Amino acid sequence: MRVSFAGYMIALIGVALVALVTHMALAHLGLASAALLFLLPVLAASVRFGTGPALVAAASGALAFNFLLLPPRFTFRIDGFDHVVSVAVFLAVALVTSRLAAELRAREAEANARAAANAEQAEFAALLSGDTPDVLTRALAWITARYGAARLIDRDAMPSEDPALSSLDLSAAGWALQGAEAAGHGSDTMPASDWSFLPFAPGHPGGSGMLAVARPMSGTTRRPEEMTQLQALARLIGQARDRLALADERQSRERLEDRDALRRTLLAAMAHDFRTPLTVLTGEVAALDGDLAAKDCALAQVHRLSAMMDDLVGAARIEGGALDPQIEAVDLVDCIDAACARLASALAAHQVERALPADLPLVAADPVLLTHILVNLIGNAARHARTRIAISATTDKGRISLHIDDDGPGIADDLHQRIFDRFARGAGSDRDGGTGLGLAIVKGFADAMALGVAAHRAPEGGARFTLFLPERQVVTA
Amino acid sequence: MTRVLIVDDEAAILRLVAAVLDRGGFTPVAVSSARAALAEADRAAPDAAVIDLGLPDMDGVELVAALRQRMTGPLIVLTAREATSDKIAALDLGADDYVTKPFEGDELLARLRAALRRAGRAIAADGVLRHGALAIDPARHDLRLGGERVTLTPREFAVMEALIAAGGRLVTHADLLRRVWGPAHVGDSDYLRVVVRALRLKLEADPSAPTLIRNEPGIGYRLGEV
Repeated sequence: MRVSFAGYMIALIGVALVALVTHMALAHLGLASAALLFLLPVLAASVRFGTGPALVAAASGALAFNFLLLPPRFTFRIDGFDHVVSVAVFLAVALVTSRLAAELRAREAEANARAAANAEQAEFAALLSGDTPDVLTRALAWITARYGAARLIDRDAMPSEDPALSSLDLSAAGWALQGAEAAGHGSDTMPASDWSFLPFAPGHPGGSGMLAVARPMSGTTRRPEEMTQLQALARLIGQARDRLALADERQSRERLEDRDALRRTLLAAMAHDFRTPLTVLTGEVAALDGDLAAKDCALAQVHRLSAMMDDLVGAARIEGGALDPQIEAVDLVDCIDAACARLASALAAHQVERALPADLPLVAADPVLLTHILVNLIGNAARHARTRIAISATTDKGRISLHIDDDGPGIADDLHQRIFDRFARGAGSDRDGGTGLGLAIVKGFADAMALGVAAHRAPEGGARFTLFLPERQVVTA
Repeated sequence: MTRVLIVDDEAAILRLVAAVLDRGGFTPVAVSSARAALAEADRAAPDAAVIDLGLPDMDGVELVAALRQRMTGPLIVLTAREATSDKIAALDLGADDYVTKPFEGDELLARLRAALRRAGRAIAADGVLRHGALAIDPARHDLRLGGERVTLTPREFAVMEALIAAGGRLVTHADLLRRVWGPAHVGDSDYLRVVVRALRLKLEADPSAPTLIRNEPGIGYRLGEV
């Protein structure tokens, strides 16, 4: 502890003053009171200046008391046992008092230091309380101004190329991260490093990073209290980073959800806006008088337009991730029946054979998407079949295969793989009335429900499309 | 004359549907808002109504419920939306049928005529409900197909009773499940699939190509036209 020269001087002056007063007033005071008065400078010195000046005050007080007041006066001789006891007791009281007072002083200093550290942490925490990443930059500037050049090191981005960090610094940093405790300058681990490394989450190995603070410019060694304080600040930075990461994650999730919602709304609006004019067209064309063949032709084109619109909306739903399949128990009979009913006019010219076993299990699928798939597959068969379309199903160990066969020209071998791509078409088939999207939608919807779909050559020539569906185990009641 | 209320905010659709109904021999009353529709229904209850679900001043499904309070005739819903939820809600709140845009005039007329026919059906004095070759006597737990008695389990009988009582109107899956299995089983469509499968085996000539019990995927069942 540094004690100023002035402290000793003031202690001696105090003792001299007391000596003067007691010397002149001894007749009125008496020896005992005079001895007590010599304790005053001891107390004052110990409280104000610490142990050293207090001891000096005690020793010089004892000497002055002996020399000036104790008979025989003006000698250092002590006559009589009672006077020896007086001096001894005075010395003992002075020593104990100064010791107690010094301890009190040390405690007060400690409390002051702790209060200052806490105030600093509070100020730092306030600085970090924001939801924007620039709080970290501001916090770093704050530490740099008080403790020396500071930077944040991320677990996933160790600054191995940074010229400011030597290989010793880097291994200290690695140690701080692995051991989850302070390393480098000012710590017990690799103190020769030029930086102090303080993990964000001490005691938790695998933390997200650390605070690095350069050795003090003065060249002195960083004191343990300062290391403790820096560790507390690093912990605060770690908490702020975690909070920022969480806020960031929430924000990006909200943005994604907003975008999905917007996409769905747009698709619904688009479908609605297309359907209104199509409805009017369909109705007005149907109500036209005159050339029957021309009217049928116009009506067929309007139907084709509306099929294209359905396919476009379907493709947009697949692209936009706006499919949300509701998987339930589905009777294939229901979906095939509904698909055939919807295609009634397209199927009128064909012979449609439905051969489904009576004990066909229920399947797990979204009934609306599955019906859409079947409308596209059966509609495709109707465009290519000469006379006959056959719908059949087989079961094999919980897997149901639904086949849709036609007796048309079949699919060229090189097209089997590509046929589910968008706008893939068989040679010379651009007048078949399809949109080039129908089978891509089949694949997209099937993927969304985790169903398989394949194209082959039918057993009797023509094309065969097969849909693979999982059996739905049902509980009955 | 049969007065049919038409509610749609699109002038072109309103004009088209009015022309279709006029051609079909009905008297169309066209309005372009939910408010006007309710005022018209309060003034003189129409015999039927065709309602677009996408109206600017009120949710179409709410309008269906409000009109159901004011009239007993058929309510046909027009919708441009792909989602089944609106259709189901409208059906559960009292709509008789729905037509998806774009539709043809003849299709709308057929649906409307069928719904009016069902609404005008007299209830037989003997308490027996009939639908084509089907006759069901709920009091005696007796279902006959072309005069032949068919043995049904209680669940099968209850499903048929609900469908025949609806007389060809579309009954939602949730509605059937609520009536036959109870409110706790509204989501258990598995039960319904199994019972309908069994009913088709007993009643349909070709169970894989049903003509009697028809399904609208994701929405409900109805009895085929006779």
